[in-house]
Amino acid sequence: MQRVSPPKTKPNPTNNQVRNLQKRKRILTSSLLTTDPIQKLLRKNQTSNEDLAALSPLAQAAGKHNETNHHRIAFGVTAFPFKDPTPNTTSNLLGIRIEVCTRNGQFTKPYYVLLRNERKRLRVHRHTVPAFISIAKLESAYLPRLAEDAELAKKARRQDLQGFARELRRELVGWHMRVDAVEFLREKLGMEGSVADGSPDRDTGVVSVAAVALETRYVRLEWADGRVGRFKLSNEGIVERAVVIGDQGRDKKTEDAMTGGGGRVETVLDRLRVERVSLSP
Amino acid sequence: MARQKLVRAPTTASLPNNFRIPSSTPSLTKTLSKLSRQALLDLAFFWLDDRNISSFPPYLQQDDIEGRDDETLPYPAAETIEEVRQVYQDLQDRKGGKREVLERILEGDWRNGITLRQLAMADIRYMDDHPASLRWTALELSRIGKQPQSPDWSGSIPRIQAATFVQALQHEISPLVKAHYHLARSTTLPLTFLRIFVVDSPYQLPAQSAEVFADSSRVIYVAFPDSCPFIYTSITTSASKTAPSTSSVATDTRTLQRLVRGAIPKALSRPQARFTLNATSLAAKNLPTLLALRGPGRSTASNGAFSIFADAALEGSPLDPRPSNTVTPEEHIGFDSVKGDSDRESSKRKLAKSVALSPISKKRHMAIQSRFGTGSALAPAPLDRLDIRLLDRPGGDDEDALPAVSLTFSGSNVIGGLRKLAELGVVDPERMPSWMTGEEGVSVATVRDGRRLKKDV
Repeated sequence: MQRVSPPKTKPNPTNNQVRNLQKRKRILTSSLLTTDPIQKLLRKNQTSNEDLAALSPLAQAAGKHNETNHHRIAFGVTAFPFKDPTPNTTSNLLGIRIEVCTRNGQFTKPYYVLLRNERKRLRVHRHTVPAFISIAKLESAYLPRLAEDAELAKKARRQDLQGFARELRRELVGWHMRVDAVEFLREKLGMEGSVADGSPDRDTGVVSVAAVALETRYVRLEWADGRVGRFKLSNEGIVERAVVIGDQGRDKKTEDAMTGGGGRVETVLDRLRVERVSLSP
Repeated sequence: MARQKLVRAPTTASLPNNFRIPSSTPSLTKTLSKLSRQALLDLAFFWLDDRNISSFPPYLQQDDIEGRDDETLPYPAAETIEEVRQVYQDLQDRKGGKREVLERILEGDWRNGITLRQLAMADIRYMDDHPASLRWTALELSRIGKQPQSPDWSGSIPRIQAATFVQALQHEISPLVKAHYHLARSTTLPLTFLRIFVVDSPYQLPAQSAEVFADSSRVIYVAFPDSCPFIYTSITTSASKTAPSTSSVATDTRTLQRLVRGAIPKALSRPQARFTLNATSLAAKNLPTLLALRGPGRSTASNGAFSIFADAALEGSPLDPRPSNTVTPEEHIGFDSVKGDSDRESSKRKLAKSVALSPISKKRHMAIQSRFGTGSALAPAPLDRLDIRLLDRPGGDDEDALPAVSLTFSGSNVIGGLRKLAELGVVDPERMPSWMTGEEGVSVATVRDGRRLKKDV
């Protein structure tokens, strides 16, 4: 019986090349248009913005986009308006955009919080913050609601949107830094990616380092001699607490080595190495 | 040798892992035959692994103390473990049905019985292979009482140490029922399964008929997704709603399920930190759907129109010099993608396709895009059922005329279907209420004036 193979939808290599070149061209065009000399030149020759728009919408869009990007990079938290497409809602939403830059120099997808106006008070409408950061807790602390009772409502605390954004960003950055720190430790031990070959690190005897959950608040360590350990990582990158258990119970020396010396997570392996050297005769 | 008389006394221990169900039990055969050939082989290899062999010893010649005649049996007992392994290796290497593997397991190497743990492993394996085999309900864990004011904004999830939790749960339910617990990490999804099998007996070795032990209605699954204050259970919510009838005193499976559901939040609580489980109006057959709508990721609190934010389809990295409106949403979604290339390709194609076929007017197309968003291209969440109760009065403010209108949509992807209807022009995308776009992320809702009421009326 002859088997009819389905038509393959493999992308044509030439097509791909063309697409890549087009993309590159667009990046270069935009980059050129946003460079300072060109933007200055355009502004010098044209007195008003309308004229500039008439001259080249592309140039103006590039300039505007450039400005937004500068704000996003420099401040980390930016606001933008958003119109809720749901019918019968007149409320325009206030969007907050939070940028986090990771260790490899790239920005993660922005985190968004959309706030709605409810009786002159801001309330969180939708957000894209991971669930382990409690938006509800932050909201009740920084964006308190108006009480139903008029008497109590007078005494209600003021809403602090800046504090809300500041704390939320701190928490998000802290999370990404913890993830980066664990990734850094794994790289140092030669355990890049998810596959570890299981061979122990020569200097420290560590077989594996991995975050306990997505949150990366706790990190689990395993040694070649069967000891297992766990340490708690603070937002500031400090090893706050550590527990190491071996066949003979708690290994206090290793625990102290992990939390001691300032407790920086980046140097935790160095401290373990020193501790191991001092133990072996 | 006189046979030792079995002494049975009520205990508070759980059912032992090595409790054996006779291999000839029909319901056991039925449960195991749901698995694929490869799954059965994988399980056998796992049981025969050096690290596990002591927990799941196969039947060997040395076990044959009664001196039965091997010739009459279809599978003569092997002499060594190595021999048994070789048998399954041979089965692995050649093609065939699953029947021969199943028979080999039940009538050959584990003819003395399948332990509760083995059965639990088989069930978990089946669930990993078929993530839509059960209906799951998402519940939210929330703290009772005043929360301590701490600067730690991410400390709202009880940290679950699996073994401690099972111990606490055991402590809660053991006076009422006997249970067998099995914890397993899903191989495909970021969650941990707890399989609880309950029997209404105070004895550690219950005398129920063997049929009971492979009865799937006595099994309760609880899934703990990583890093989020939700848990999923296979217990239907209707079980908790129905009032306990006097005739069934802790014997029917629903009562047992209710007991377990009540024990879960208690087992998660610690002194000074008590938790309770709240309904979240979401039940679906697909575990990935629950993870997308009640999980740790970005899409938990932004769906429907707001999925553009979850997918970050609006704008790219602030280092991208191209103005955002000149870049396609697909390209924005693709950037910094954690998913595999094939997934991205397929979602890209899906998006591209919807753009390519545009006999509908551009205006409607734009409206659909703005109402449904990207439809969570990265984490698609198909709902298999959507129950809506409408509380709108048909003719103005007539208090007396309040008809009870309930709508039930069911299918493989309800929200996707509504989107199709909008594309075909059956539904007006600009005027449709937000529960039709999946924005609320619920499967049950009470609606008034097009808006979902937070509390059921």
